[in-house]
Amino acid sequence: MASSSRMGRARRTNVIAGTLLSLFVAVGLGPYVFMVVTSVKTNDQFNESYWVPTWPFHWDNYAAAWRQVSPYLYSSVIVAGLAIVGSVAFSAVAAHVFARYRFAGRNLLFALIAALLMVPPLTSLIPLFVLMRDLGILDSRLVLIVPHVVSGAILGVVLMRTYIARIPGELYEAAGVDGAGGIRMFLSITLPLARPAIGVVSLLTVLNVWNDYFWPFLTVSTDEYRTIPAGLAFFAGQNVTVWGPLFAGYTISSIPLLLLFTFVSRAFLAGIQGGLAVNR
Amino acid sequence: MKLRRRRWPLLYLTLLPTFVLLAVFSYYPAINGIVRSFFDWHPGGESPFVWLENYGRMLTDDLWWGSFRNLGFIFVWSVTMMWVFPLIAAELLVMLSTQRLRFVFRTLLLVPLAFPAVVNVLLWSFIYNPRDGMLNTFLREVGLGFLAHNWVGDPDTALVALLFVQFPWVASLPFLVFSSALEDIPKEVFEAAELDGAGRLRRFWHIDLPLMTQQFKLLLVLSIIGTLQYGLQAALVTGGGPDDATQVPVLKMISAAFNANEWGYAATLSTTLFLLTLAISGIALVMTKRGARDGVE
Repeated sequence: MASSSRMGRARRTNVIAGTLLSLFVAVGLGPYVFMVVTSVKTNDQFNESYWVPTWPFHWDNYAAAWRQVSPYLYSSVIVAGLAIVGSVAFSAVAAHVFARYRFAGRNLLFALIAALLMVPPLTSLIPLFVLMRDLGILDSRLVLIVPHVVSGAILGVVLMRTYIARIPGELYEAAGVDGAGGIRMFLSITLPLARPAIGVVSLLTVLNVWNDYFWPFLTVSTDEYRTIPAGLAFFAGQNVTVWGPLFAGYTISSIPLLLLFTFVSRAFLAGIQGGLAVNR
Repeated sequence: MKLRRRRWPLLYLTLLPTFVLLAVFSYYPAINGIVRSFFDWHPGGESPFVWLENYGRMLTDDLWWGSFRNLGFIFVWSVTMMWVFPLIAAELLVMLSTQRLRFVFRTLLLVPLAFPAVVNVLLWSFIYNPRDGMLNTFLREVGLGFLAHNWVGDPDTALVALLFVQFPWVASLPFLVFSSALEDIPKEVFEAAELDGAGRLRRFWHIDLPLMTQQFKLLLVLSIIGTLQYGLQAALVTGGGPDDATQVPVLKMISAAFNANEWGYAATLSTTLFLLTLAISGIALVMTKRGARDGVE
């Protein structure tokens, strides 16, 4: 008796909480559903039936959007990919050295890197822009890649040092007995075991490339160099009131992040929390 | 664990590339920004030293302080409304009895986070579109057409419209933090409270809220830092207008450099923002350290 009434109450709570939560979900997801529904409409369909899907679906909107948005996707993938390679290259060795060796100035040098976590990218935007101008690399893909390499390297050193320090020392000692040198230990123990930390840095880099608007907006004017944020803003300006293709473009640009959210959602959310906690 | 003791210069050599990278692209611009704030900076041209002239000008720049007034609203909003809705959602979520249900709702609530920020903001810009936007269309169709309005084009409503971007703000860091904090409260605590006859509301005030003090502190600091960096929404939805009604410091700093060509002044504004953020990050660091030591964080 007692247990059945408790179950009844649990069910009632579920219904009430579930209903209210569904309301939140509906309001939160509404605009995205609208976006996808509208992305297959012509403007006539949009005007006749604003809220409800109508036949036929115009997939050609996606073809039109793809022609304009695909360069931005390509550029974002290139920038993110090279930034990941760069930031891992610049951080893995340093993190390994900080974690596995003791030397004069170790803590000071590490603090010099960790302190940079407190410098928000937007506040050095002006001097960084002038530096890039002086180096003559404005309006290139390189100018987009470098800041992500830098922030990835900073985060990478800090994250990976902690991670590598937790790898049992016996592994390295055993390798040392077998005659492995420092480089060998780095390549065959540290790198494979630090993969999760590298994964987090990579994911954060992708998120940053997909979300950073001001830098590509200010540094790049060649359309095909633009990454998604500045590219989409430009694309939106070119397609006002052509709602179908416009929303198709928004949808296409969102797919890579949606895939990451679907397949590595734990890391994705950890990335968002970790990323914000260190103020990026 | 035994660390290897070596004093080889080789060790420092391995660190060199990383430090060169950070020196050139992190330390140099950060310091240069501060130095140049004392100059009438013309990149590539003559840049006379002007002492505190830029700072004096900043002190009397009504537009600059007006943008901080807007930031004040944005900040207050971000620690009230933008916490209340996620908090309600998190409380509702932990009321669900099965992990499966919780997982489904949690995921659905978080999906907007998986969209690029620019898409989110551009979608909201569409929602406010005076002619075709969802808000005005909805108002017209339910017979409230007289309320339809150019939301972001009217100085009186533009800031409020900006604040409502991403409503109901459940796909957010506060929701992630609140829901995982509530999940972590041991079941026994609730059972004991229930035996003492504490209802849902009492439990919320006397158990849930006090147990999340540390989370609130952390989110508060992150909100301050986040607010100082606020710019994307304003840039894409209102462009800081109309009549500077939604001007924010970041946009003001960018336009000082790129529109007015006053790089020294822009450096002054960015240095000011930088120092503010640094001071607050310092407080944050102390607070999170203390939190971690208490084992609450």
